[in-house]
Amino acid sequence: MTEVKAELVGNLWKIVVELGSVVEEDDTLMILESMKMEIPITSPTSGTVTDILVAEGDVVQEGQTVAIIE
Amino acid sequence: MSTGSDTPSLDELTAALGDRRARSLAMGGEQRIAQQHERNKLTARERIDLLFDAGTFVELGLLAHQHSMTGAVSEPERTPADGVVTGEGLVDGRRVFCAAYDFTVMAGSMGMIGEQKVARLRRKSMLNRLPMIWLLDSAGARIQEAAGSTFAGSGALFFEQVQMSGVVPQVAAMLGPCAAGTAYIPGLADFVPMVKETSSMSLGGARLVKAATGEETTDHAMGGSQVHCYISGVGDLEVDDDAACIAAVRAFLAFMPSNNREEPPRRQTADARDRRIDDIGKIVPTNPRAAYDMRKVVERLADDGDVFEVKPTFARNIITALVRFNGQPAGIVASQPMIKGGALDIDAADKAARFIWLCDAFNIPLVFLQDVPGFIVGTEVEKQGIIRHGAKMLYAVSEATVPKVTVVLRKAYGAGYFVMCGRGYEPDTLVAWPTAEISVMGPEGAVDIIFTKQIAAAGDPVTARAEYAAAVRQTIDPFIAASWAMVDDIIDPADTRRVIIDALEGAATKRQRRAWRKHGVPPV
Repeated sequence: MTEVKAELVGNLWKIVVELGSVVEEDDTLMILESMKMEIPITSPTSGTVTDILVAEGDVVQEGQTVAIIE
Repeated sequence: MSTGSDTPSLDELTAALGDRRARSLAMGGEQRIAQQHERNKLTARERIDLLFDAGTFVELGLLAHQHSMTGAVSEPERTPADGVVTGEGLVDGRRVFCAAYDFTVMAGSMGMIGEQKVARLRRKSMLNRLPMIWLLDSAGARIQEAAGSTFAGSGALFFEQVQMSGVVPQVAAMLGPCAAGTAYIPGLADFVPMVKETSSMSLGGARLVKAATGEETTDHAMGGSQVHCYISGVGDLEVDDDAACIAAVRAFLAFMPSNNREEPPRRQTADARDRRIDDIGKIVPTNPRAAYDMRKVVERLADDGDVFEVKPTFARNIITALVRFNGQPAGIVASQPMIKGGALDIDAADKAARFIWLCDAFNIPLVFLQDVPGFIVGTEVEKQGIIRHGAKMLYAVSEATVPKVTVVLRKAYGAGYFVMCGRGYEPDTLVAWPTAEISVMGPEGAVDIIFTKQIAAAGDPVTARAEYAAAVRQTIDPFIAASWAMVDDIIDPADTRRVIIDALEGAATKRQRRAWRKHGVPPV
């Protein structure tokens, strides 16, 4: 089980995967809107998305866990 | 007159000398050398062979060995060269001094005689104004010689390293453990490559940590490259093995002058000075919100695509790299929009400030590639001291008197524009791409501050905010900055390499003298 964490504070703009999505390492899972940029949150590992802990429009904090990959 | 038949001949004496030399050259013996190799480590002498141009290394202190301070025993057989190979030789034809700790001799521990040998090298390094290289693979101070309050007389090595800083380049290559206070050797060095898995550094080794605090850890878990090259930023480059580490040391030295009074060595290149970058539009999106890999831009700008990144795995939101432009060494400080949008945080500011100080100390011009949305703001970064760390980067870029060239690719917002050598920071040339956005802040942020009341009073606040934002966006235009002559030119991005080379050549005779002061008071 790997926790996916946000690398900086921002507004969660888009979630591009769904529960059960199979992802590769470095695939974009979500897009954060912060510092005038669209900042992808990428998967640290290959696996299946087993939990999504945030919703579009949420403000996420640096280090906050946003998804779980198994 | 005859000296008598019982006096050895010169041949006998030189043969005995040869035996002694051979014993020292054998280091800690076959078994310990085999163990060293089993750990995927080379011996100190194998490393020296890799570092120096063939046949140029001259050793000093080969015949030294350990002595006991208490007068009880000396063990010459057990401590060849007293565990550290010291000497001088040529690297790419230029002389450097080197101390290579020999892990096969008492775990490379730092004994009194060995340290006298290294102290002599440091002194020679300064007297001759030539670089000093440490190849570290050492258990730390040899406690059996150092325990007790004669410690009161020790520690001058770090004092000397500080005096050497900015005068001669200092490299500390981590090829094994480097525990306890000796970790300050890399802490004070200019370049610290670390071998993955086998090297580590920590102020206290695992056993000392256990004794001091009760914490259970290992030297590797606490101070391996996975910590120092990724999290702490003490390591400058993670490399796979000893050979790669020595190659990195040679590559780094190739960018450095021998001392701060010399210019860094130029290298001939067949790469055309006016080479256009035709695929630049494919790399850098015009949509300012989209990320891209700045490293690709740096590779296309530099001679032969040759980029020597310093701290590539730490604070990846900024790139610091040594490159050459038409043969002239230069330091690149570039935003990396792929990581944290290229926004600056405390680690990025630290990394950039140190790199700027390094380049400025050794007469290496600086090239800033800006695509910076600003410093990250908020409660978290304030707790981390973003103001003092940001101020440190301001300080470094303001102090630097080497030629400075700034290219604004896209974003240049707020203090990000300042620390990346904006107009106020004495760039010798400042140019922008047509995609440049130079402003104190983005349109949305500006509108919420400037037009708060108007938006609140509007019948349709959402539309009003969008209209005001559109109006502000019109004012963020590089041609406005150019029309006020605040940027020197707006350039075709494909010509950026030629523009940088023109700028560096134009500033080659730059001489800037600041007002006398003992030293400033830099924020850290």
